[in-house]
Amino acid sequence: MTTRFVKTQKEMEGRYEDVWALVDESDETTSWKPDADLSLVGQPAPRQDGAARAAGRVRFTVDVKLAGMLHAAVLRSPAAHGTVRSLDLAAALATPGVRGVIGPESELSLTTRAPLLQAEPAYAGAAIAVVAADTLEAALAGVAALALDLEVLPHLVDMQEGLNEQRFTTDPTDEARGDAEAALAAAAVTIEFALDTPAHVQTPLEPHAAVASWDGDELTAWVSTLGMFAAREELAKAFGLRKDAVRVRTEFVGGGFGAKQGAGFEALAAAELARITGRPVRLVNDRHAEQLDGGRRAATRQTVRLGADRDGTLTAIDADAVVAQGQGGWVMPVLIPAQTLYRCANVRALTFPVKTNLRAQNAFRAPGVMEGTAAFEQAIDELALALNMDPLELRRLNHADVDQVSGLPYSSKQLLACYDRAAELAGWATRDELRKPQPDGLLRGMGCATQIWWGGGGPPSHATVRLDADGNATVITGIQDIGTGTLTSAQIVAAEELGLPLSQVRVVGGDTGPNVYGPVSGGSQTTPSVMPAVRSAAAKVRKTLLQLAGDVFEIAVEDLDLRDGRIRSSDGAIDAEVTEVTGKLGDATIDGSGSRGPNPDGFVVHTFGCQIAQVAVDVGLGEVRVERIVAVHDVGRIVNPLTASSQVEGGVLQGMAFALSEEFIVDPTTGVPVNAHLDDYKIPTIADMPEIIIDYPHVPDANLPTTGTKGLGEPPIIPTAAAIANAFAHATDRRAAALPLTRARVLETLA
Amino acid sequence: MEITLEVNGRTYSIAPAGRRLLAVLRDDLELLGTKLACGEGACGACGVLLDGRPVNACLLFAEAAEGHEIVTIEGLSTGRAAAVQAAFVAEDALQCGFCTPGQVVSATVLLERTPHPTREEIHETMAGNLCRCGAYPKIERAILRAAGEA
Amino acid sequence: MSGYTRPTSVDEALELLTGEGACVLAGGTDLAGQIDRGITAPALLVDLQDAGLGGIERDGDGLRIGAATTLADLAADALAAPYAVLATAAGLAASPLLRNQGTVGGNLCQHTRCWYYRGEEWNCWLGGGDTCFAQIGDHRKHNLEEGECISAHPSDLAPALAVCGATVVVRSLDGEREIPLLDLYRRPTDDNRSLIALARGELVVAVRLPAPPDGSAYLRTGARQAFSFPLVSVAAARRGDSVTLAAAGVANIPRALDPVDPLAGLPGHPQSAWKRKVLATLVERALASL
Ligand SMILES: Cc1cc2nc3c(=O)[nH]c(=O)nc-3n(C[C@H](O)[C@H](O)[C@H](O)COP(=O)(O)OP(=O)(O)OC[C@H]3O[C@@H](n4cnc5c(N)ncnc54)[C@H](O)[C@@H]3O)c2cc1C
Ligand code: SF4
Ligand code: FES
Ligand code: FES
Repeated sequence: MTTRFVKTQKEMEGRYEDVWALVDESDETTSWKPDADLSLVGQPAPRQDGAARAAGRVRFTVDVKLAGMLHAAVLRSPAAHGTVRSLDLAAALATPGVRGVIGPESELSLTTRAPLLQAEPAYAGAAIAVVAADTLEAALAGVAALALDLEVLPHLVDMQEGLNEQRFTTDPTDEARGDAEAALAAAAVTIEFALDTPAHVQTPLEPHAAVASWDGDELTAWVSTLGMFAAREELAKAFGLRKDAVRVRTEFVGGGFGAKQGAGFEALAAAELARITGRPVRLVNDRHAEQLDGGRRAATRQTVRLGADRDGTLTAIDADAVVAQGQGGWVMPVLIPAQTLYRCANVRALTFPVKTNLRAQNAFRAPGVMEGTAAFEQAIDELALALNMDPLELRRLNHADVDQVSGLPYSSKQLLACYDRAAELAGWATRDELRKPQPDGLLRGMGCATQIWWGGGGPPSHATVRLDADGNATVITGIQDIGTGTLTSAQIVAAEELGLPLSQVRVVGGDTGPNVYGPVSGGSQTTPSVMPAVRSAAAKVRKTLLQLAGDVFEIAVEDLDLRDGRIRSSDGAIDAEVTEVTGKLGDATIDGSGSRGPNPDGFVVHTFGCQIAQVAVDVGLGEVRVERIVAVHDVGRIVNPLTASSQVEGGVLQGMAFALSEEFIVDPTTGVPVNAHLDDYKIPTIADMPEIIIDYPHVPDANLPTTGTKGLGEPPIIPTAAAIANAFAHATDRRAAALPLTRARVLETLA
Repeated sequence: MEITLEVNGRTYSIAPAGRRLLAVLRDDLELLGTKLACGEGACGACGVLLDGRPVNACLLFAEAAEGHEIVTIEGLSTGRAAAVQAAFVAEDALQCGFCTPGQVVSATVLLERTPHPTREEIHETMAGNLCRCGAYPKIERAILRAAGEA
Repeated sequence: MSGYTRPTSVDEALELLTGEGACVLAGGTDLAGQIDRGITAPALLVDLQDAGLGGIERDGDGLRIGAATTLADLAADALAAPYAVLATAAGLAASPLLRNQGTVGGNLCQHTRCWYYRGEEWNCWLGGGDTCFAQIGDHRKHNLEEGECISAHPSDLAPALAVCGATVVVRSLDGEREIPLLDLYRRPTDDNRSLIALARGELVVAVRLPAPPDGSAYLRTGARQAFSFPLVSVAAARRGDSVTLAAAGVANIPRALDPVDPLAGLPGHPQSAWKRKVLATLVERALASL
């Protein structure tokens, strides 16, 4: 094995970073041909752990229970901004059952970039102190005993006010190509569209949670996280430990949708208290804490101005976005759709990250791009209207053949095929029929929207495959399965390469212990990063197995093939169970390790798609009912259509809720969110579900290493809200100035 | 003060100490399949059967459950429930799986009462069990499959 | 932490309820939330489940519905079926799980869902404080009436029962009284902020209904297609030519509407005025369906 370091770029949610990737130059795995005869990849397979999940037997972080474990409760700020006047740590510590208390002034053994606990909390829900006790009830009593005295300070939660006062988390950005101003002035047709998008809370049903346990200087932490290796790194750094002294376990995660990054406050605080008390500590957010402090997609105020020729050619895009960042966080790429979705030479994009007294915003499935698409794709429809053009036709006409920012070609792009297929499935050609008077008195309409996202994945990502004497293979990965079915996809890829039935391949993950690195589950990069690593590890085992078969059957390796669990010779003389070879291993195993190679230079990798929504509007009640969503996404090769469609359905439903009902509402008087609970924050029920029709172009990305797969986590949530809003406008001839389209907003829009 | 609870056919003596049934099930009886997701009655992740009817264990005072038959997901593994679980797996009616025990509890009762439910009946009966991952289309299909209709 | 007791008769329950900090516990679906959010801190929970208050029975040509009857039982009861407005309302309230647990008495006596009242971060006027945060803050889901408290009445059952001509049987150690359903509610005043017109120690034991109306309907809209409180709901019943209307979500208590001018006295507030259109639509559709 010849291993080299290669310098390459790694992408995460649109941010590129240079990394050194380990590349195995002896790796002979080549990409599956588009028409490769694959027996398992592309076939629906139920999850390998489905039965355990359905029986409630899997253990999430909130279920971890250790001997002597303490329970932590957090004192959180009841005000949007304040300063702690007094806090009675001694009284809390004296509460029966309480074993440890930390506050803003406490001397901590960990070091973090920002203070763990706040003496001047700057948002409602900010953590001020943590109490660990024998029971949760005792910990809560301890929190009460802290008798927080908080002096309330002025707050700012209105983004317009923040903009007026120029309160920014980071400097506003101004990105431009060409001269949008001049092009707008010269354009034959122009439109302007403004939209407010709501703050949108991830709301995983399992809240943020962690359990920490020390054994001397070694720390084991169960963390409900999307990135257990990032959690390990963070914990090792914070406590000054060697990486191998920290083990993070994340076998099952009850949803995250971007919110659960790294170790998080929960694991850091639990580990600190575990260190202080000498006992394992569990910290689980209650629902109110989760909604206040788990994270959210930032609210935005966006304006889009477009200029076009009479024939529909886009000549100018001028977009700006005010983003209510809260206390900080990444500035999500809200204006990426404006900058990259269509061919246009003159583009300007201004972003104002406003600082408000809310928690720092964080990732929520397609952060930035989804809310950006919600505005930009409505503007495109407005332009179609102004041009008296079919909206889908306008999109086809302005199709970008190369990346508009870099000028580089795409690794693959099947967007036109997505348009065609979506239009066919939705009955787009006859959509104006929907506007005729309907027997049920509802107004109907159909709208479309385009999706762009990254999703190419990349190194580093590793896997190890181990085949035993019984012919059973274990794939060791470093991935945490957050519900996407990644482990099952890995099982399919490994089984395909090994020529074994699925039942003989088991994938393990969720533990940094084996030190087989896997990436964070986010940014639609898990599948494209992990699958090639798994395949290359399996390929090595396959190669060894065939060599051993050659020894056993005394035949040249080239004449042997491995498929469906059998080893066959090309002349048909040999047709044997794999175990005829592996059986001779005894307790030894055949091992192979693989890694993800870099993406080729000279391309940009993106996923694309189109969704078409059909809605029915009850103008008497302001009710918008989504009747159907057609979703066609170009994500390369589909490994497991069963779990892939689950991803699409989940994204569509979350996007639909962003369009119709979900909105994190902040009280203007106190700056405290009023609906940071599940009873008032309305995520959809099964009765809200539209018919969802899914398809793909099924064209593997020939430029991506070995499996041709792109990611599918984010794409389906991106265009849904825009498609629904466009359908609403088609039905009613009105466009709401804000999402979601609640009863109130619809009636105000139609009034 | 101790009370006696009848859970999954077994009898337990526990000290409720003002807690909800959910806390007792999870913390004392270590029946961890039933989940706490909101504690507000708003999601159904804590769904258990009380005398055969699904209720939210997060809102039910443990003392109030005394004298009733409680069945949790751990007690649902045969007959109709097994068929529902198999259908959930086959149709991929679960993603993260956190809501799933509650979904299975509600779906099992639905099919006991209405062996051949319509889509509307499924929507009505399952509306108290939220799924943030959005497994709804497949939950509907799984129920239809378990009913022998898909 | 609350104590718990389960009396086996109404009399025993009434006796227990005279104790300091004693509180009626029915299904607990609302009370548990009140306790968790610090709205109530009962010393003793008096659980009604064995007090013999469940069940629906014939009562002359009408019905008597025990206060501890669950919403699910009410929605599915054959005797209640002729009261379409009621069966519909009971079947739409909350969620299937909550309907298995929540009772008629508890549903009628539930506290408002106003997010300021429920939120631990505020102590609003209704909860004993000085300010109605809704009026100076976010009141998009609030009511259409003028008043000190602009919360929206949350019960689906109350308007449905009201148009059926229901009366509420209230017992205390002093005896029994029977009042029209709408009289179970009161507009809060400075010295008594309760929305419910029950004295301490009083218990709702049953709801009585006269003969079914000739036609009735219950229509509502919520924030989503199922499992949401009524933003606005309208109950309608017709006896001969006479129509009765009542609504939830438009006042801080269930409110009777004038069929000729249903919006009278309901001007709305800046962010809640949209409910007027909904109310008008629901009334129109309800009347058309009778
Ligand atoms: C998430 C959620 C959604 C909901 N959605 C809806 C909805 O859409 N529509 C709707 O109508 N309701 C809705 N509800 C409210 C629900 O219907 C009520 O919580 C339930 O009906 C209350 O009944 P209970 O028996 O559980 O009452 P409890 O919680 O036991 O009691 C409620 C209150 O009434 C008092 N009380 C109870 N019984 C009596 C009695 N007999 N005499 C005097 N006082 C009594 C209690 O002391 C307490 O203050 C919802 C609740 C939740 C949590
Ligand atoms: S509407 Fe009523 S309950 Fe709500 S804040 Fe005002 S006074 Fe309080
Ligand atoms: S946890 Fe009980 S309903 Fe959500
Ligand atoms: S499967 Fe994740 S919440 Fe339902």
